[in-house]
Amino acid sequence: MAALILPAGLLVLLLLVAPMVMLFRISLNEYSPTQLMIEALQPGNYLRALADPYYQGVMGTTMTVALSCTAICLIIGFPAAWWLARMDSKQKSLAVILTVFPLLVGNVVRSAGWMALLGRDGAINAALRGLGIISEPLQLLYTQGAVIVGIVAVVAPYMILTLSAVIEGIPRNLEEAAANLGAGPLTAFRRVVLPLAVPGVVAGSVLVFILCMNAYATPVLLGGPQFKMMAPAVYDQFVRGTNWPFGAALAFLLLMVTLVLTVLGSAVVGRRYKAQ
Amino acid sequence: MIARRGLLGAALAAPAIAHAQANEVIIGTWGGDYGALLASEVDAPLVRPLGLTPVQDLGSPSARKTKLIAERSARRGSQDVVCLGDADCYAMAELGLVEELTPDKVPNIAHVLPALRSPFVLPHIYSVRVMLTNPAVISPAPVSYADMWDERFRNRIGFSDLLYQSISEAAALAGGGNESDFAPGQARLRGLKALGARVYSANENLAAALKSGEVAATIMWLARGYAWRRAGIAVQATFPAEGATPYVSAAVVPKNARNKQAAYAYLNAMLDPRAALGFGERMGYLPTTTLATLPAPLLAEIGVPAEQLAKLRRPDFGYTARNAAEILAFWEREFKA
Repeated sequence: MAALILPAGLLVLLLLVAPMVMLFRISLNEYSPTQLMIEALQPGNYLRALADPYYQGVMGTTMTVALSCTAICLIIGFPAAWWLARMDSKQKSLAVILTVFPLLVGNVVRSAGWMALLGRDGAINAALRGLGIISEPLQLLYTQGAVIVGIVAVVAPYMILTLSAVIEGIPRNLEEAAANLGAGPLTAFRRVVLPLAVPGVVAGSVLVFILCMNAYATPVLLGGPQFKMMAPAVYDQFVRGTNWPFGAALAFLLLMVTLVLTVLGSAVVGRRYKAQ
Repeated sequence: MIARRGLLGAALAAPAIAHAQANEVIIGTWGGDYGALLASEVDAPLVRPLGLTPVQDLGSPSARKTKLIAERSARRGSQDVVCLGDADCYAMAELGLVEELTPDKVPNIAHVLPALRSPFVLPHIYSVRVMLTNPAVISPAPVSYADMWDERFRNRIGFSDLLYQSISEAAALAGGGNESDFAPGQARLRGLKALGARVYSANENLAAALKSGEVAATIMWLARGYAWRRAGIAVQATFPAEGATPYVSAAVVPKNARNKQAAYAYLNAMLDPRAALGFGERMGYLPTTTLATLPAPLLAEIGVPAEQLAKLRRPDFGYTARNAAEILAFWEREFKA
C-alpha cells in the first residue's frame, strides 16, 4: 500500500524539496553586487532580516493581514458553509459552482476589477460623489483594507468548501436531537455543530492562513507601492535588489513563521476540542 | 518496436535537423511592441534573407538574466542573442558572461554614436530622460531637475516605482551629486517627499494619474512621453539643464551561445538603418548609429537636439550595481514609506 504514495512522493521530492534545499543553500551565501553571490556558510542574512525593524514591520503587516483575512473568512464562511451543507442535492451543485466562481478568474484580472471599483475615479467614488455624499474622492485603493477585501474574495471559497465538507459529515439528526432536548438553534449550534466542525475550522483556517501569508498579486496591485507584505518583499530582493541570498533568507523566514503559526494554531484549537 | 524503415528515415533526416539548428538564432527578448518590431523590421526583411531562422524566446528581463547566470557553467547556452536594458547588459558583462563585440564581428558597430559605445554591449535603440509636465498646470516648465524642488510642484509630482534608480540619480544630479555619487540625492528625495510626491506601481498607473490630473509632473523617458502624447495625455518634455541621461535598449551575446556567427549577423541587422523607422514611429526610440535618419517631424517629437547630444550624461553602471541594495533600501524605506 505504501508504494501507492511513491509517484506523488517522488514528484514532491523532485519539484518541491530539491528547490527548497537549493534555496536554503543560497540563503547561507554572501551577497556580492559584482559576482551575484559568494559561496559561504553563514547565518548573516537571517540575523540581518530578524534584526531589521523594516522587515519586522513587513512581517507584522503580513501576519495582521493573514490573521484578519482568516478570521473574516471564518465568520462569513461558516454560515455559508452550513447553508451549503444542508442544501438539497439538486441546488447544491449550482451553489458549489457559484462558490468557486471567483477562482475561475485569475488573481490579476480580479484585482483589476477591484481597482476599477475602488480607484479615485472608480465606481464607488463616482457613486458617492453622484449622490452628493462626498465632494473629494475617498482613498479606498492602496490601503490595507483594500488588500484584505481583495484577499478575502480570493480565499473565502477555500474556507467555505472545506467547512461544508466537514459539516456535511455531521448527521442532521444530532441537531434535531439537541432541539428535542430543549436546545434553541443557537445553543444547538454552539454545543453540537461547532465542536463537531472543529476539524473543518482548523483545516479551512490553516489553508486560508497559508494562502494569505504568501499572497503576492493582490498586495502589489491593491496595496500600491507603499504597502509591503513578505512575498513582494522577497521578489524585490531577488529581482530589483539582485540580492539572492537575502531574498532566500526572507523566503525561509516567511516559511518558518507560517509553519510555526499554523502548527501552534492547530495544536491550541485541537487541544480545546479534545478537552470538550 | 522500432521499424527498420522508421529508423532509416530518422537517420536520413538527422542531418537536415542539424542543418536547421545550425541556422537557428535564438533571441531572448521582450514581447509586446519590441518583439513584434524585431520580427517585422529585423527578422523578416534583414535576417531571413541571410538564410537564418530567428526564434524569439519571450519573457521578462529578469528571466533572461537568470538564465544567463544559471547557465554560466553550461557548455551550450539556450540563447544566442539576449536583449536587455543597458544596466542589465553591463551587469552581465561584469559577471564575464558575454562576448566582446568588435567591428570585425559586427561591422555596423563602427557607426554607433560615441556616447553610446560599450565594448561588450550592442546599443540597439535609445531614448533620454526628460522632465514631463502638463503645460496647463505647470507653466513655465522647469528648466532643470533642481527646479522641481519648488512650492509650485507641491502635490503635483508623481513617479513610476519602476524607475527608482533613475529618479534617485536625477535627485543626485539636482543635489550636486553625480552618476558616481547618489548620496546628495537622499536629502533631495526627502525634500520631494515633503512636497507630497507620489509613487505609482507601474508606468501605466502614472499615465492614468497624469491624465486624470492627479499629478502634473514627472521624470520619465522621452519615448514614453511621445507614447503618452499619442494616447491623448497632455505632457510636454523638457531636457534638464543638468544634461539628459540616455536609456539604451541593448543586446549581448552569451559566451556559451550555440550559434555565435548567426548572433553577430543578427546584431548587425539590428543596427541596419532600414530597421530604425519602425522602432521610432511605434516606440519613440532613436537609432544608435549615424547611419540611420528619421523623418524630421518624427525627430521633432522623439529626437535629441545636437546641443543636448553633446552634453549627454553617462550612467555609472558600476556604481549603481555596487550600491543597488542601498539605493533600493532608501527608496523603499524612506522615500516611499
